Amino acid sequence: MADFRKLVAVSLLAGLLGGLLLSVLQHYQTLPLILAAEQFETPLAEHVHDWQPMDGWQRNGFTLLFNGLTGFGFALLIAASMYWRNQRGYLYGLGWGLAGFLVFFVAPSLGLPPELPGTDSAELRSRQAWWLFTAAATGMGLFGLILAKQRWLQIGGAGLLALPHLIGAPHPEVAHALAPETLQQHFVVLTSINNAFFWLALGALSGRLLSKVKF
Amino acid sequence: MKTLAASPAISTAKILPGLSAIVLGLTIVLGLGFLQDSNNYLHNAAHDGRHSAAFPCH
Repeated sequence: MADFRKLVAVSLLAGLLGGLLLSVLQHYQTLPLILAAEQFETPLAEHVHDWQPMDGWQRNGFTLLFNGLTGFGFALLIAASMYWRNQRGYLYGLGWGLAGFLVFFVAPSLGLPPELPGTDSAELRSRQAWWLFTAAATGMGLFGLILAKQRWLQIGGAGLLALPHLIGAPHPEVAHALAPETLQQHFVVLTSINNAFFWLALGALSGRLLSKVKF
Repeated sequence: MKTLAASPAISTAKILPGLSAIVLGLTIVLGLGFLQDSNNYLHNAAHDGRHSAAFPCH
């Protein structure tokens, strides 16, 4: 399992760097919108007693940790894919980063756009299920469409890309958000830009670091 | 002579390391993005990250 350790080392470094980049972008772009939206929320009694990180370094520190760890997890997927296909270098990495952005951000966001706190949505479990289904179908669909040689796999891949959106994401009977609509639109645009940068950087870094390792 | 061209089939020696990396990666991502603990500790710590990564949060 020497190869596994190398994949972990590459992914850890790429993930932490990518997560750091994302955290800096978020700190200046989306965090102000989240904080503004929270002003419209009335604290519910049941939530008051729950521990939550204090605003400032504690809250930002947990976001940095979250971004670094998810970056590590996503980088593992990229590194393993490139390892299996004998690819290395930042150009291949950029391709896999773009695929990750489509699978884990764009496709789920088409049905369930990034939301500010205080937005009423359908029941959490059903949205999580749709999100997971969409990411899985998009991943397999892209694989079939782009990487498969057989015609039937390409057609099946295209079908899988469309399927989650034909089924449709779960939405509440009556949509209701506390924060103004313009704030929400702003949030969708900025998270899309930030996550695009994150994924492309993560892919390029993973690919570049992979070429430093001998398998 | 060893060929360097990318082959469509994955050599058997490469299956386990790659699969382990994928399982570990998915466990990390899905755990951080989707777990709801009864005390809301994990949810509150991961809150801003989840919102900004378009994970369903509340």
